[in-house]
Amino acid sequence: MSLHDQDDPALRAAQEKRLRAVWEPPKGLFLRWTDTNNNQVGVWYVLTAFGFMLFAGVLALIMRTQLAVPENDLVTPGTFNQLFTLHGSVMMFLFAVPMFEAVSIILLPQLLGARDLPFPRLSAFGYWSFLLGGLFVSGSIFFDAAPDGGWFMYPPLTTRTDLSGLGADIWMLGLSFIEVSSVAAAVELIVGVLKCRPPGMRLNLMPLYAWYILVVAVMILFAFPPLIAGDILFEMERLLDWPFFDASRGGDPLLWQHLFWIFGHPEVYIVFLPSIALFAMLVPTFARRHLLGYPWIVLAAVGTAFLSFGLWVHHMFTTGLPKISLAFFSAASEAVAIPTAVQIFVFIITLWAGRVVWSTPLLYATGSLAIFVIGGLTGVMVAVAPFDWQAHDTYFVVAHLHYVLIGGTLMPLFAGLYYYWPLVTGKKLSDRLGRTAFWLLFVGANLCFFPMHLSGLEGMPRRVFTYPEELGLGGLNLASTIGSFIIASGVAVIVLDLCRSPWRPKAARNPWQAGTLEWLAKPEDENWGVRSIPLIESRYPIWDQEDFVRKVDEGRFFLPDAEEGRRETIVTSVLDARPVAVIRLGSPSWLPMLTALALGGVFILTTYHFYWLALVSSFATLGLVLTWLWVGTAETPEKPCKPIGHGLELPLYISGSAAPGWWAMFITMMADATAFSGLVFGYYFFWTRHEDFPPEGMDFAPGLFWPMAALALGVATWVATVAAREVHARGGVNLARTLVAGAIVLAMAGIFAGLAGPWLSGMDPAAHSYPAIVWVLALWTSIHSGIAAIMLAYVLARSLAGRMTPRHDAEIRNVTVYAHFLALTAVVTYLTIGLFPEVA
Amino acid sequence: MHLTSVLVIGATVIALLVLAVYVIAVRTPEGKLDHVGGMRLVLWLGAIFPTVVLTALLLWALPAMRPLPHQSGDLRIQVQGEQFWWRLRYEDGNGPGVISANEVRVPVGRTVVFDVTATDVVHSFWIPGLGGKMDMIPGRINRLVVKADKPGIFRGVCAEFCGLSHALMAFDVIAMEPSAFDAWLASARGVPARADGRGAELFSANGCGACHTVKGTPHTAMIGPDLTRLGERRSLAAGTLPPTLESTAAFIRNASRFKPGARMPAYSAMPIEDATEIARWLRSADGEAGR
Amino acid sequence: MNRDPLKWHERLRVSLWTLIVPPAVWAGHFLFSYLWASISCAKVGSFARFPTLFVAGTVVALAIILVSGWIAWKQQRMTGDPPPHESGTQIDRLRFIAKSTLLLAGLSFVAVLFSALPVAFLSDCR
Repeated sequence: MSLHDQDDPALRAAQEKRLRAVWEPPKGLFLRWTDTNNNQVGVWYVLTAFGFMLFAGVLALIMRTQLAVPENDLVTPGTFNQLFTLHGSVMMFLFAVPMFEAVSIILLPQLLGARDLPFPRLSAFGYWSFLLGGLFVSGSIFFDAAPDGGWFMYPPLTTRTDLSGLGADIWMLGLSFIEVSSVAAAVELIVGVLKCRPPGMRLNLMPLYAWYILVVAVMILFAFPPLIAGDILFEMERLLDWPFFDASRGGDPLLWQHLFWIFGHPEVYIVFLPSIALFAMLVPTFARRHLLGYPWIVLAAVGTAFLSFGLWVHHMFTTGLPKISLAFFSAASEAVAIPTAVQIFVFIITLWAGRVVWSTPLLYATGSLAIFVIGGLTGVMVAVAPFDWQAHDTYFVVAHLHYVLIGGTLMPLFAGLYYYWPLVTGKKLSDRLGRTAFWLLFVGANLCFFPMHLSGLEGMPRRVFTYPEELGLGGLNLASTIGSFIIASGVAVIVLDLCRSPWRPKAARNPWQAGTLEWLAKPEDENWGVRSIPLIESRYPIWDQEDFVRKVDEGRFFLPDAEEGRRETIVTSVLDARPVAVIRLGSPSWLPMLTALALGGVFILTTYHFYWLALVSSFATLGLVLTWLWVGTAETPEKPCKPIGHGLELPLYISGSAAPGWWAMFITMMADATAFSGLVFGYYFFWTRHEDFPPEGMDFAPGLFWPMAALALGVATWVATVAAREVHARGGVNLARTLVAGAIVLAMAGIFAGLAGPWLSGMDPAAHSYPAIVWVLALWTSIHSGIAAIMLAYVLARSLAGRMTPRHDAEIRNVTVYAHFLALTAVVTYLTIGLFPEVA
Repeated sequence: MHLTSVLVIGATVIALLVLAVYVIAVRTPEGKLDHVGGMRLVLWLGAIFPTVVLTALLLWALPAMRPLPHQSGDLRIQVQGEQFWWRLRYEDGNGPGVISANEVRVPVGRTVVFDVTATDVVHSFWIPGLGGKMDMIPGRINRLVVKADKPGIFRGVCAEFCGLSHALMAFDVIAMEPSAFDAWLASARGVPARADGRGAELFSANGCGACHTVKGTPHTAMIGPDLTRLGERRSLAAGTLPPTLESTAAFIRNASRFKPGARMPAYSAMPIEDATEIARWLRSADGEAGR
Repeated sequence: MNRDPLKWHERLRVSLWTLIVPPAVWAGHFLFSYLWASISCAKVGSFARFPTLFVAGTVVALAIILVSGWIAWKQQRMTGDPPPHESGTQIDRLRFIAKSTLLLAGLSFVAVLFSALPVAFLSDCR
């Protein structure tokens, strides 16, 4: 196929017909929900997250009504506690984070000129998990069983089963389930940005949205796992009475606060940066010029990501930690304001240098900037520890965080909504309604939250269901309540605008005359993403590259056809986006939904203490995952290579570090290792808390022999796996199979050796935090050995079934990545529990 | 307040500055600012300016983090947060500790060391008018040093969410002249005179002594607040009710009506007259504010 | 062959991994400071006023940041067309990563200094 073939309209029509057929969404009442294409899943995701936002907003209105006047009794204290806990948890876990994932699932393939993300079924799985977990958590309030410990769930209030009910388990297990889907989305987005860019889109030409998403997804990998580690300890205490946070048995409530806020502070930036990423897309459009200072934005994003992990203790300034520790975090909290200022001024200076075109999205961006600057400055104030000792846990902090989140997340999302609505639906929203809503939101937000600074400084603590009249806070609170209803009316106007959209006419293509790739989308929806995958030479190809849109539309770039009737996209290299391969993408399937249901079953059934059913559900999950892998991944293509146009021919199969699957495994294991480090932190944290560690009477547990045996077995599993990979690559299939079989035996022996130490030395995990944390580390590592055994058995089966050959060996290469991490986990665990008691 | 004013003024100035730059930016026509000029502005406004301001702020704020100095002879008050009240113990080194609840007295001009902790859940001890807050965490003893400059009454609250009645967990702080404080502490060491009578009998008969201490009687249990000098406190039930006979009687009959989640059982079958008798007896001790 | 051999700082090409060296050094230094202070306070009850360990750690961190910033500075100054450097060429991609690394080195340098300041003002474990 040469360039001139594309001159033939008949050929183009035939290509379009084939593409359309391949990307045709499944139809029918039930089948349509099996779709995995980002255009569908992304829209479901956005709508669901938006629904949760409205729900959490209503909860807030009830709270504000209760607080409108002093000593009100609209709701009981118990209900009020559920309201604020759920409001915070839903806004954070079911709106802000999923909304960023949802928007990215829609936008990222468009921005990168890809047909879809690399793992569409994983996106669908993430969505169904999110929907199920979200309904489970937020539905609980209708049964008066919602969590009521505040969104940071401090133990012992929440771990003592006499002081807190099912709500705590619903929070912990329901949201853990959703964290799994967030990590899945992070894997998807990182691999999407690094490996699925169009040819020529080197790192320096990447749309800034993609830079932000890359940074945020990496942050998720390091921020969510500590919370997952905390969740594990938390539920172990609630369900099994292992005393991690019970001071009377050697635990410490502060361990939870550390693990929670190691997650909790980066979380703030995880929901802030993607919204700023929307600015980075719309500001150049309405300044009619390239963004000025592209490397500065990258500096800001990467710098913020790093610094945000050094701030967590500023949520713990009043916990009585040594002042020197607080001071380190105070300093870092000041430093993080620098990259934030850089971002704000890059946008302002771009507007300065360009020709400003006023529009509804820019109006929202301006308003959110104003609100965010105030929130940012009060953030600098509370980073000053002596000021925070007054402001902490008061309405001042409530005001600060709402200014940051409204200015830094909500309003930018509305800016993005007005900006990108034509991209998704082909129709513009009403400018008149948009402006009305904006002013309601802007005035409402300031009226609601500005007075809270004052009520906080006057001594009103947060999370109070009422306040005495004598304090004289009635006026400020009434103002806040009125403001909250004005915000609600603004949101109602936006909802009205959205509801009227289906009856509006289609807008022109690229209605804002933007320069970036996503605006190739036509108002008439096509599910194939882009007609042909372009060669990129500029950051704003639609503005800068000659005849760009026409060439894309006429299929004059790469992969303009789907001859084999498969969904495909191009994989490129990380730094310079050189084409590497064509990969086949997952097609619609029931598997993601069923797997989400089964995994959800594990978490939900555990909440209600149906342990046997939960076990059944986890076997079902395992079976579904293995089926999914077996039928849907690493398939051997019918031919080794295919042409993608312009004389380029790319392989259809890749393995090892060039392949998206390998990256997905590597990234998942980074998250896994981070969760593990949270547990290891727990061990050494307890050491700092106790004069005598291990405590009296447990000095010789779990002993040296069994941990060292387990360590040897873990390392041996790794050696056997690596050897199998190498032998297999050189054609020694039978020897490789033998080595894999040996590795399975070693991994299974590792399970028993790992547990033998604490078991045989009679450590009672309910007695003290020391045996409890040793048990958790041993269990974690043993479970990982068990998973290794299952993975290796899968590899063996693939080899025996002829689906894995020395030429097509993705399975063994990916499992080797797992084995590297298993070895690391075993070394750290067993050196810690075996040797540390000897030296401590 | 000095700190707060500096921060508020600084934040306001910077916010106005950003606003001004924004207005200039959108009003400047295209082509007035080239790439090099723009980058210079980003460098100065976005990077150098905040770095300088924040460095100055840090240099000024770090010394302010040093805690107030205190000596071993200073008055120590141990405070233990409970759901939903405050257990107090004064130690001044001149005799046995004095146990009290829900109302703190401090001498003006002297350094006072609060050692705060909790046993049930996390609470936070905060007297907005006197100084920062300090969390009360089971298994840890945190120290807060304050010094009141002038006599007066301050309100303190629990600042960390601690359960159903978190909003109803307050206390009064009475800053007194040192001599008056010393006299009060000395009298609190003793046993107040108290009329015997039906109230005392009812107190025993209803088992109130299983949880509460009333000095000078056989009741020495430590589960609930010490009621020895209830009559002198400015409020009832940790800042929840006015210190009257009626509210005391009503609280005795149904504590959780006023304080949801309070551990004191309801005595709804108790006739109001009996509850009033107990209340009268409890409030009859010769405290300075005996009512 | 009379081409000059590349100097070492020219051979060490900036990449996504070298990009994160300066902030990773900050993170390492930060963690080190925090653990050093909190473990000394928990286990010894005090930390020395100007301990050699802390100063040495800080100097090493600053030195690594300076070196990586200097390499990045060298590489982003490569001769060629005038700014803005935003074409899809090898050299502009290199310049971009070098520039970003340089900026991150600046931020990390300031952040490490910020983390070191508290030790000059606070000297005990209260």
